[in-house]
Amino acid sequence: MIFTDLKLRIVPLIVLIAWSVAYISQINYDAWRYYSPSVLNTSFNEFIEPQPLSPQNTRLISFGATEFAANIYWLQLIQYYGGGTPYGQYRKLPELFDTVTELSPNFQQAYITGLIILPGEGFVDQALSLGEKGQKNLPDSWEMPYYTGLVYHIYKKDYAQAGAKFNQAATFAGAPAITKLFAGIYFKEADQRKKAYLIFQTVVATSEDQYIIARAEKQLAHLDGIFTLESAVAKYRQQFSVYPKNLNQLVTSNIIKKIPVSPFGVKYTYNPKTGRIGDD
Amino acid sequence: MKTIWVIARNTFIETIREKILYAIVGFSLLVIVASLLAGSVSLGQDVRVIQTFGLTAMTVFLLVITIFVGSHLLYKETEQKTIYLTLTKPVTRVWFYLGKFVGLSLVIGASALLMGLVYVILLWAKTGFVAPANYWAIGFTILEAWLVVAVGMMFGSFASPISSALYSFGLILIGHSTTTIHAIAQKSAPTIRYLLEGVYYAFPNLEKFNLRNEVVYAISPNPTQVITTLIYFVAFTALLLALGIAVFRKNEF
Repeated sequence: MIFTDLKLRIVPLIVLIAWSVAYISQINYDAWRYYSPSVLNTSFNEFIEPQPLSPQNTRLISFGATEFAANIYWLQLIQYYGGGTPYGQYRKLPELFDTVTELSPNFQQAYITGLIILPGEGFVDQALSLGEKGQKNLPDSWEMPYYTGLVYHIYKKDYAQAGAKFNQAATFAGAPAITKLFAGIYFKEADQRKKAYLIFQTVVATSEDQYIIARAEKQLAHLDGIFTLESAVAKYRQQFSVYPKNLNQLVTSNIIKKIPVSPFGVKYTYNPKTGRIGDD
Repeated sequence: MKTIWVIARNTFIETIREKILYAIVGFSLLVIVASLLAGSVSLGQDVRVIQTFGLTAMTVFLLVITIFVGSHLLYKETEQKTIYLTLTKPVTRVWFYLGKFVGLSLVIGASALLMGLVYVILLWAKTGFVAPANYWAIGFTILEAWLVVAVGMMFGSFASPISSALYSFGLILIGHSTTTIHAIAQKSAPTIRYLLEGVYYAFPNLEKFNLRNEVVYAISPNPTQVITTLIYFVAFTALLLALGIAVFRKNEF
């Protein structure tokens, strides 16, 4: 009886003590979390930077659910990219894209997203190798060479490669009609004018979009102007054994009747030392 | 045959009365529905996320039911001494074992159908279309779980429930790592290669039943694949049941 009475008194006491301890620790936690110097709040990623397992190890422990594992890393990647750059750079980003695409080699959106955001974060070469992997794994996708071409253009300033990629992208079904036009423009920028000219001719012959045809025709007329001036300079040099001092000399020496005008309104430039015609 | 069915029905009723089963199935349904949330933060990849999360949740929880109930099934009979009552009737141990297998398989089938239904409804509500690949994946997952029932019961015929659950878990892990094992075998020295290839052929290849990755690309299996997988399932399940029965017949209670 005494024991039972004791038990009845002890239970509320234990509850009271337990609740008090819980309350004090909660207060303590709040003080640390909200009022202590802000170490934790600098960035979420600083403390929980993703540490992906290697694709092979992930595959080994995934019980065959590789697409599921790829999606887990995909979600982690999105959270990571949205969480701020604790070290001045999203240094785990290339590894995450690589892991996702190793586990799910046909995950098209992962390649495209990688090609769009990786170069901007300073991982240009990693983006390009992701693009190459994408082209290997998704050989029928126009998006892979298209977005790889954009990286070559914007971040590498390698217009010849950009042109080659766009030219490749244009051969796939579903590629935007303007892709071929872009390829021509890139080749023109890369000083591969003959190649560019042929591409613009193909655009005029095959495109159904009137705007694109009009743009390609303008590019052709622009290049025609350059070619006319180039051959005139060559003729001048043949006659006088020197390059003309300026383009007006081509008119005064009756090689051409007038200096062509670019349909884009830009002036053709000329280098008297090399005889080169430019359009800057 | 009738005896097997009677035992199977009793096992089914007995198992679906277990509260833990409701907890597992309920939790699995919750996870399948929660895939909607994960899908909403996936940069437009929600269908892909719902499919992989839903099917993986289904597989994991089916295997959990299989391992825990399967390894416990025979042990419980001997522990509660109910097996004495049954075996005094004109019931052979073979029928008893097969009845237990069929009964648990029915429980697995029913749970899988419930989970599959929720998954299909969810997918249909989201996209308005459910590719046949989804049904194939669910069907093959059920086959996989049935094979694991045979595995769990075989281990349960001679080991304690915990050991049996651990062995089954190990076997599932090996069964799903067969592709990796085969790949490592091809690159290894001859002795290790034969050893690994031995492992590759001796253990059930559960990757044959894994169509869950193809679902994302809506790829359905071709008829040859379906037939060979079915034959493989029947052969391996028969083998495991035969082994389990052989041990179970020699057990002394």
